[in-house]
Amino acid sequence: MTISRRDFLKVAGITAGSTLLPNLVVHAASTGNPDEYVAMLYDATICVGCNACTNACRQWNKTTPVKDDRALYDAPSELSADTWTMIQLYQGEGEYSFVKRQCMHCVDPACVSGCPVHALQKTAEGPVTYDAKRCIGCRYCMYACPFHIPRFEWDEVIPVVTKCTFCYSRIKAGDGPACAERCPTGALIWGKRGDLVAEAEGRIDAEPHRYVDYIYGKEDAGGTSVLYLSAVPFGKVGLENIGAEPVPALSEGTANVVLPGILVGGPIVLGLIRWISKRGGWEESWPV
Amino acid sequence: MASLTQTKKSALPISFFPYLALALLAVGLSIYRLVVGLGPTTNMSDHYPWGIWITIDLFLIPVAGAAFTISLISFFFGYEDYRTVLRPAVVAGFLGYSVVGILLFLDIGRWPQFYNILDLGIINPHSFLEEISLCVTLYVVILTLEVLPILFEHSKFEKYVKWIETGIYFVAGAGILLSTLHQSSLGSMFLLMRHKLHPLWYTPALPLLFFLQAGYTGLGTTVIAITLVWRSKSLPTNRLLIRRIGQAMGINLLLYASIRIGDWMGAGEIPMLLKPNAFGWIAWLEFGLGILVPLAILFSKLVRHSQGPLWASVFALMGTFINRLMITWVGLSEPSPVTYFPSWIEIMITIGLIAGGALVYERINYYFRLLPEKHEKHQ
Repeated sequence: MTISRRDFLKVAGITAGSTLLPNLVVHAASTGNPDEYVAMLYDATICVGCNACTNACRQWNKTTPVKDDRALYDAPSELSADTWTMIQLYQGEGEYSFVKRQCMHCVDPACVSGCPVHALQKTAEGPVTYDAKRCIGCRYCMYACPFHIPRFEWDEVIPVVTKCTFCYSRIKAGDGPACAERCPTGALIWGKRGDLVAEAEGRIDAEPHRYVDYIYGKEDAGGTSVLYLSAVPFGKVGLENIGAEPVPALSEGTANVVLPGILVGGPIVLGLIRWISKRGGWEESWPV
Repeated sequence: MASLTQTKKSALPISFFPYLALALLAVGLSIYRLVVGLGPTTNMSDHYPWGIWITIDLFLIPVAGAAFTISLISFFFGYEDYRTVLRPAVVAGFLGYSVVGILLFLDIGRWPQFYNILDLGIINPHSFLEEISLCVTLYVVILTLEVLPILFEHSKFEKYVKWIETGIYFVAGAGILLSTLHQSSLGSMFLLMRHKLHPLWYTPALPLLFFLQAGYTGLGTTVIAITLVWRSKSLPTNRLLIRRIGQAMGINLLLYASIRIGDWMGAGEIPMLLKPNAFGWIAWLEFGLGILVPLAILFSKLVRHSQGPLWASVFALMGTFINRLMITWVGLSEPSPVTYFPSWIEIMITIGLIAGGALVYERINYYFRLLPEKHEKHQ
């Protein structure tokens, strides 16, 4: 089978949509130019795993350290309501790599597409922000996110969803994100997304043996504002191959066709059914 | 002669005090959950952000689709004899959606601002969850309108609800549109989760599958509910009507089965069924029990037996439950060693609310007229 069911549905949807309702086909997160978005480039081959970024994030966002068994050290093992970014270690046979975890700030974010009340928003500058005054706590964003990023304050009576906000208030003030400004090695840098893609390409070209020939986030999930370079295959450090199609594409395409289709077509179909049944036309054609 | 006082004592298999006790326990636990939060009362976590309540919601909504399918057949397809079962179906729908509404309210973390989903100034028109929220809210209003004439019948309020019966085609039509929208959107909601939902259950056709499933599940609920109501009034089973509802179910099931199989084939997932792991076996169980068994009953002579459509309905509902269980919980897991099993509070709130709904159904069947007077006079 060369035509997948997704393609079929897409073609069917686009055909129906473009014939019936051209004006309704709009995109939720079409804001700004992705090349101009503020972005980060994380080069895992430079990172020494010092967790200065984790700490800078804590200080700026006032989150509580997650202590290790002996309560000596801030040692989160995964993202949580209190840990919005952190460094994880991958160890394989004869190889190891650090990998930074945080919200990827997708160009076309699934969380924003799914959020019923626009509590999550794609800003014109690129960061995906969260507004607790809107959020109802439904947790759809947690399932929609292909990177498993949003977390929930389960222990609070009235919890909020938490995730990295790219230090949006700092961006507005002209500063960089706290983590990238603190990084002592230069493994994490920030800038315009278009420039960072060029920088990453330049590094791979200059030292092709140092890197896997792939920039994670350039195309993945329709592009993300956090870009990764690595010496080990990305699947091993938890950055799965999820394809280049933006996650919300199918859902929004369906919404654009199905919702107006039912609202407009539904009454017509119901009226038609009623009309035929009044003329007594079902008994022959309808087997029940 | 069939006045209310002469109606036989209801014999729905529901005893008052145990059900009341369960319902009251659920009320107490619900208040406790709202006061202390989700963490101390549920086993949900960052790895399983949704739990048994969502599973029950997604099962009860097609079950409560009874009102929608019977309205469609009786008002629009013009099968007048289906109106016999309209009231039992509408009341079942109303109570089903009420339980869902309460569960959703308990489930959302920031419940004090739940009304944000109705604030047209901030809502997201691209979100299927938002569309479901709006449609379900409006549909509960429609169901209330359809239930009021039953509750106010032969009372001094009757004249205030006359307009509902006058405009019943618009009320019922709006209900059918809202149901079509949100029953299919429940499936569309998972279109954002193709990276997480198990491939045997994920498909771009989810909206269509959910819609058809709501059709046959709602019809099945009607068969079960009407059989119980007839028995409670010691009325004979109307075999012809039951059979015709069963055949409508059969058509729905056939469409559902062909799309499901077609999707498995088109996506190259048949090997997962031929060499099944745990998920493959569950898919077999779901498909065999919930689709093939009802189809075998409904498309054979068994459909003429008074118990045939009833058992087909029971099996179809079991299949729907397995399906919704897989899509909301078992087949939808974050990659982690953490597993989820509901806490006793989650379970008791679920059981108690459903018991409460069943109890109210029993009381309505007892105090109000769910069946046509004509039918009762025959007794």
